[in-house]
Amino acid sequence: MRPNHIVVTFLGMALPLLAGCDLPGRPKPGPEVPRPEAVTSFDTLYNENCAGCHGASGQNGSATNLANPKYQALVDDASLRDVIAHGEKGTLMPAFDIRSGGSLTGAQIEVLISGMRAHWGKGNVLAGQNPPPYKATHPGDVSKGQAVYTAACARCHGVTAQHPGPAGSILDGSFLALINEQTVRTTILAGRPDIGEPDWQGHIPGRPMTDDEVTDVSAWLIAQKPAIPGQPYPNAKPMSEHPAEARPAAVKRPTGD
Amino acid sequence: MPWYKSVYDWLERRIQFEGPVKEAVLHPVPKSTASWWYVFGSASLVLLILQVVTGILLGLVYMPSAAHAWISLDVLNHDLPLGWFLRAMHGWGSNFMVAVVLIHMAQVFLFGAYKFPRELTWIVGIFMLLMTLGMAFTGQVLRFDQDAYWGLGIGASIMGRVPVIGGQLVHFMLGGPIINGSTLTRFFTLHVFVIPGTLLALTGLHVWMVLKLGINEWPMPGRIVRRETYVQEYNELAHKDGIPFVPGAVWKDLFFSAAILLAVAVCAAVFGPFGPKGVPDPTIISTVPKPDFFFLWIYTVLSFLPPELETPFLLIVPPIAIAALIGLPFVAGIGEKSWWRRPVAVFSVMFLAICWAVFTQLGTYTPWSPQMNAWSGAVIPAKFLENRTPLERQGANVFQEKQCRNCHAVGGLGGQRGPALDEVATRLTEDQMIRQVLLGGGNMPAYGSALSPAETSALVRYLETLHPHYQPAAADASRQVVGQGGGVPADSTVQQGGGQTAVH
Repeated sequence: MRPNHIVVTFLGMALPLLAGCDLPGRPKPGPEVPRPEAVTSFDTLYNENCAGCHGASGQNGSATNLANPKYQALVDDASLRDVIAHGEKGTLMPAFDIRSGGSLTGAQIEVLISGMRAHWGKGNVLAGQNPPPYKATHPGDVSKGQAVYTAACARCHGVTAQHPGPAGSILDGSFLALINEQTVRTTILAGRPDIGEPDWQGHIPGRPMTDDEVTDVSAWLIAQKPAIPGQPYPNAKPMSEHPAEARPAAVKRPTGD
Repeated sequence: MPWYKSVYDWLERRIQFEGPVKEAVLHPVPKSTASWWYVFGSASLVLLILQVVTGILLGLVYMPSAAHAWISLDVLNHDLPLGWFLRAMHGWGSNFMVAVVLIHMAQVFLFGAYKFPRELTWIVGIFMLLMTLGMAFTGQVLRFDQDAYWGLGIGASIMGRVPVIGGQLVHFMLGGPIINGSTLTRFFTLHVFVIPGTLLALTGLHVWMVLKLGINEWPMPGRIVRRETYVQEYNELAHKDGIPFVPGAVWKDLFFSAAILLAVAVCAAVFGPFGPKGVPDPTIISTVPKPDFFFLWIYTVLSFLPPELETPFLLIVPPIAIAALIGLPFVAGIGEKSWWRRPVAVFSVMFLAICWAVFTQLGTYTPWSPQMNAWSGAVIPAKFLENRTPLERQGANVFQEKQCRNCHAVGGLGGQRGPALDEVATRLTEDQMIRQVLLGGGNMPAYGSALSPAETSALVRYLETLHPHYQPAAADASRQVVGQGGGVPADSTVQQGGGQTAVH
């Protein structure tokens, strides 16, 4: 082989290698930074928008446990779409639809819904168990709620806010001000397997809770919200209730005129 | 006579290059300069040639129009065989060129090469450095992605701070009142014609002076530069103890230049081209624009400067720095060349290098900048949510939803603008936390108007749980007094003399 042939052969082998896809520096298909609305990967969308509160992989977060097959079986697509797009009124769940001030398009919300179903749904795991519906069909009867609370919740959450049970109080005014009836209903129905909270079948020993019981206790709990929740010193009396301090002496006017 | 010899003779008869070229390549240089320390200048030249060649090839495809620039880079990256490699060579070549030029400059400074009679070589070199940095900045603009767009915005606002003529300068730089197509055309002209033309002309002058004045000899402590005697001493050194430049010294230059080219190619093949990042659409606000590597230090310095010092710094420091570099050979044009006898020079280089490295390192992760998607994306580690009450969990929701996380990290995730809160409960009592959240202070904004009382209570309850298991949360002693109906709490064991030896 003459030297020229060697060079030609070498180049003939090296150039396709250089052009080939084996070099690590070759850009991946698609733009390096896609437009925000062009992101359609469930993992990316979930990790950037949801994981902060709902936890990595939908569990062990501070908010609802999404990777709960019972929750996925309970909630229908329309409700899920509505709560992602418009938020949940009265709670800390914000609206994510771009038309409601969020940053996600309708298509991206669909990706989130179908992705959650694919990752965490396990089909209809509640088939034959006749669970109460995800949404209440009628307003709850507050007067019946306390009895349900005592039977179903008080074991773990305590009888009163002053005597919280082992799982912490849910009668705290600030807590009640940050949730709504649907939060209570969802948590009772689906439970939170990631932190050991049972579903609607495990609250009252021996039998599942009925739809009416769930509805009534949800209404009763929210009715316990104080008029002015969130006072950091609930036991401190306002100054004016101490007669001598109602008004500083310097500006105290004589009584009776 | 073979045909090529007759062609050569025919050309040589008319051009007469042989004499000057032979003189240049065979000119004697001091033996001490055939050193690995003397290779950076020639490597810079080789990189410049690489940039010109790759630049011309890129110019065949690149479209300097606001609507097409980004797309033409995308075509290069994805559609043209080896187009991405060409872009990567040009991009990495630019980084290597800035680096090698700076090393060359530091070496020339430390070897005292700017002293008599090479003052003008140094001054021309300073302008070549400015041109190189100008090439780097205008090249970043031609990439015309989000970084380029917002980088231009920052460049324009710097220009706009020039007194009196700032507005006209911005208009001149952008080709109009806003960043638009003419801005890109302008920077294309600068990057492709004006700056490289000037740079090539200055390079010719620089190399010419190196040939005429001779390469700087290896500095020896005690060998003092005097205007009266230096040239004679140098000629003696070059002729008596000298070797011809070719082949005596040139092989090290060739070897190093080849190694640098190979390094550029390896970086290009392994790390690939720079961007383009997202499309330059100012309506996309979820972007974190950053300058290229060699301007990161400016980014850091400007971020750390108090606002009232920004304009003075931007307008006064660069002219002073350039004036100092130009004035250097006139102030210190004679005397010792050796770094052993020039401690100020050595420490100046070390100081600048350390400052540059620290600022650049900070610029890579921008701890001063909030992470705008941490609130929804940064997970709270499970151990910070274990065994929390329902209220405390709602507090964690408040913590995320109100975007505290964008500035405060927990478990190493989140912004670094404010302190990490993993153990905040050991530092602040409940009351102090409420005050801090509502009123802000210490560089934190007040959130009183953004939080309801319930949200504040829940948030602070959650923060109160953030302490290690071996250290309790900080508590306010006066609470205890109030809790005892105004009675004074019992003395602590220390107050009672615990741990002290009883004295009788």
